[in-house]
Amino acid sequence: MGGESNEGEMGFKHGDDESGGISRVGITSMPLYAKADPFFSSADWGPVVNAAGGFSSSHYHPSMAMDNPGMSCFSHYQPGSGSGFAADMPASLLPFGDCGGGQIGHFLGSDKKGERLIRAGESSHEDHHQVSDDAVLGASPIGKRRLPEAESQWNKKAVEEFQEDPQRGSDQSQKKHKNDQSKETVNKESSQSEEAPKENYIHMRARRGQATNSHSLAERVRREKISERMRLLQELVPGCNKITGKAVMLDEIINYVQSLQQQVEFLSMKLATVNPEINIDIDRILAKDLLQSRDRNTPTLGLNPFSGFQGTIPNLCTTTNPQYNPLPQTTLESELQNLYQMGFVSNPTTMSSFSPNGN
Amino acid sequence: MERQIINKRKRVFSLQPNKNPNALFARRYVSHLVPALKKINMNKSSLKTNHQSFEKTVKHEVDMAFALSAQEFAWSRFLQQKLLSSPHDDLISTSSSPSEILERSSKKQVGEKYQDRDEEEGGEIKKRLKELQKLLPGGEEMNMEEILSEIGSYIVCLELQMIVLKSIVQDNTS
Repeated sequence: MGGESNEGEMGFKHGDDESGGISRVGITSMPLYAKADPFFSSADWGPVVNAAGGFSSSHYHPSMAMDNPGMSCFSHYQPGSGSGFAADMPASLLPFGDCGGGQIGHFLGSDKKGERLIRAGESSHEDHHQVSDDAVLGASPIGKRRLPEAESQWNKKAVEEFQEDPQRGSDQSQKKHKNDQSKETVNKESSQSEEAPKENYIHMRARRGQATNSHSLAERVRREKISERMRLLQELVPGCNKITGKAVMLDEIINYVQSLQQQVEFLSMKLATVNPEINIDIDRILAKDLLQSRDRNTPTLGLNPFSGFQGTIPNLCTTTNPQYNPLPQTTLESELQNLYQMGFVSNPTTMSSFSPNGN
Repeated sequence: MERQIINKRKRVFSLQPNKNPNALFARRYVSHLVPALKKINMNKSSLKTNHQSFEKTVKHEVDMAFALSAQEFAWSRFLQQKLLSSPHDDLISTSSSPSEILERSSKKQVGEKYQDRDEEEGGEIKKRLKELQKLLPGGEEMNMEEILSEIGSYIVCLELQMIVLKSIVQDNTS
């Protein structure tokens, strides 16, 4: 039992060296030994144990919680030296391969630690100590350690790195790129720049609670694409600048599209009533300000086929009007307001449903 | 005086109309719609003069012109297919009066809100995506990403269509 407290303290100390992000309080409050069995039995332990064991060299043992009988399984991996264990890793990790990588990510302390874990066989002894300390820290129950900052740091940590590195050496560069993208958006707290991954290991960052495989990465990329599109749509739908949150944004979009469709219907009905006397002057229609360059920054997503849209159009007149005036930029809404004022629309009350708030 | 200025400001044209996508769409739209309307006009006397069916026909042509003017987008192809395959009577969301249209929309919104409050966010988003899918032609066959991409162009084209329709109506009612 004393061993555990020792481990806790050691973990504590080493934790200080690392980063401030870990809640060390949780460690001391929780005897590792008591938790060892449940952790051990759960799959969560596995990779941590494996990783720590795999990474560390022989000296690592005495310093660690690995002496803890609860962690005896750990002993498997000790013989694996830095270079050799990479090969051992997949085999050893496979049984634990399905555990929630995010949870394991919890175990590992900070980004720094995780990266050291990644650098197989290359870190110094101190690093190994720290790594092992991290593993010990990881032994403490997940629930207790949750400081928000630790969490966000964990979000960057990828135990999946351990699992996937040996298997996916070929995809390394590609995944690293993905991770760079996602990291920049997600990684707010950890100011640490990504260290160059060694050849056998990929720096990948999984979010907490996600499955640690390529599916989650692809999903994250996809989610970012989606949020980017939502941002573009935000610019497109009037009055959505202050809205944050997908659901409300989608609501607004839906309302807007519905109102647009309704108005088209309404107009087509009006058209039906005036149809008999149609006398359309195309030039006049096209002369409307509304169709010329617009103030609103139309996202290119919708208008990719229409190239060259964003520039202002040189305004020259045809024979209908020799006057030459630079066209002031107006928004769609303000133009509509002008049109109402000029008696353009005979039934402005229904047209007022144009703005999303009007509905 | 001001009105003259406003009128003058409106009388400006681009030398290169095809570069402005708005103008491009409007041009195409008008070029599709006007002949169709004229044809309807000519046939009107020969067909039964039921106002509702006439409206439906007009609406059909309006939608058709809309779909044909924006060929670059997936939703326009879906819309075209839908219009071509369905007879005039089965058109999307046909209603006969503006008040009905507004009623329908407000009812939908109220219903949605009641349901959404009870669900968690993932479910809410999914509900809304389903709604979007219904609104967008061809939405049922798209996944979320595609829907979001297509919705942008759809919105823009709807707005342009409205401008054209309004100007047509205005020119002919005043």
